[in-house]
Amino acid sequence: MSTDEADRLIAAALRDHARVAAPARLRRRLERRFVRGERRWILPALTGLGGAIAAAALVLLFLRPAAALPDPAFEAVGDHQRVLAARELGVIASDMHHVKPWFAGKLDFVPPVTFLGDDDFPLRGGDVAIFLGHKAATFVFARRLHVISLFVFDGDAPSGERTIRGFHVATWSAGGFGFALVSDVGWDDLRALRARLTE
Amino acid sequence: MPLFGRRAQLAVVRDAPSREPTLAERALDHVDELYGLARHLCGNVSDAEDLVQETYARALAAAPRFESGTNLRAWLFRILRNGFIDRARRRKIVLEIPDDTIDVTASETWDASSLDQLRYLTAAEVARAIAALPIEFRFVVYLDVEGFSEAEIADIVRCAPGTVKSRLARAKARLRAALEEKP
Repeated sequence: MSTDEADRLIAAALRDHARVAAPARLRRRLERRFVRGERRWILPALTGLGGAIAAAALVLLFLRPAAALPDPAFEAVGDHQRVLAARELGVIASDMHHVKPWFAGKLDFVPPVTFLGDDDFPLRGGDVAIFLGHKAATFVFARRLHVISLFVFDGDAPSGERTIRGFHVATWSAGGFGFALVSDVGWDDLRALRARLTE
Repeated sequence: MPLFGRRAQLAVVRDAPSREPTLAERALDHVDELYGLARHLCGNVSDAEDLVQETYARALAAAPRFESGTNLRAWLFRILRNGFIDRARRRKIVLEIPDDTIDVTASETWDASSLDQLRYLTAAEVARAIAALPIEFRFVVYLDVEGFSEAEIADIVRCAPGTVKSRLARAKARLRAALEEKP
């Protein structure tokens, strides 16, 4: 018999089995991040309520004292000090393929970190931190004897560099996530790691 | 108006204020298709979820550049492919470049019992056979299964339609060999 029949049967098997249903947690996460957030802005605009809400917000802005917004850089320094003081991390591993799966079930997002660590910045492990009131992924890298913490959280961080109590902090946003990198290493080292993380 | 049952549901749907689904909502309709490809490319759940999430983040960041009326599925698959290749590059993984010049001759013969094996393939056997293919072959096979034409696949994977045809033929030959030898 020819290969045509074999190809036909294989094609049928591929149609039946090749597609894999996305896990419900992934679907929920994507909906929460990309769809519900979008609706919050579009629906009021469509219904005409947007103008009223904006006007009310403006009135509140001028009539009420502005609430202090939490500062990701200060939060990062505090959390970095907790990392330094901790006896051990949630997961200690130099292999990102061990560290990232450890977060499954502990966070409601997959931290989009693809840098695996290298000779200059070896990965030491990871942990879950409370960052700006939400659970965040913590990745700990080393630079010689220094510790560098990377916090990845669900939200935005203003892009910038600050020095707070002697710690250098770099913050940025990408893909709907906020990132804060903090350490007592020099700026050159911190920027070099940031470049690897954002490549 | 009926309060319960299918007629009631239909009435509710008709009464709901109509609005066009947003790009994000339309894109999310394709999450299973994208995740399936991501699983076959990455080989594990964690990386596949990560790749799909990154695909949506990239797509929606680039939403203003999406041309309304063009193929949203193809656009999403192209973004997923680019994301996967970027990841491989960052991880210094060298992707095998298939030799597209080799022709495939179909000179195999299949007996009835061998064909019978193919009638009862399991999902695990199919996944193993796909995993044994070079990455570029996995792309064309999966996109073919998803119903894309050779021209559309060529546009997604950025190669000539003739190359897609050749890769599909060679991928099929490898799949036949892998599934015939399955334990």
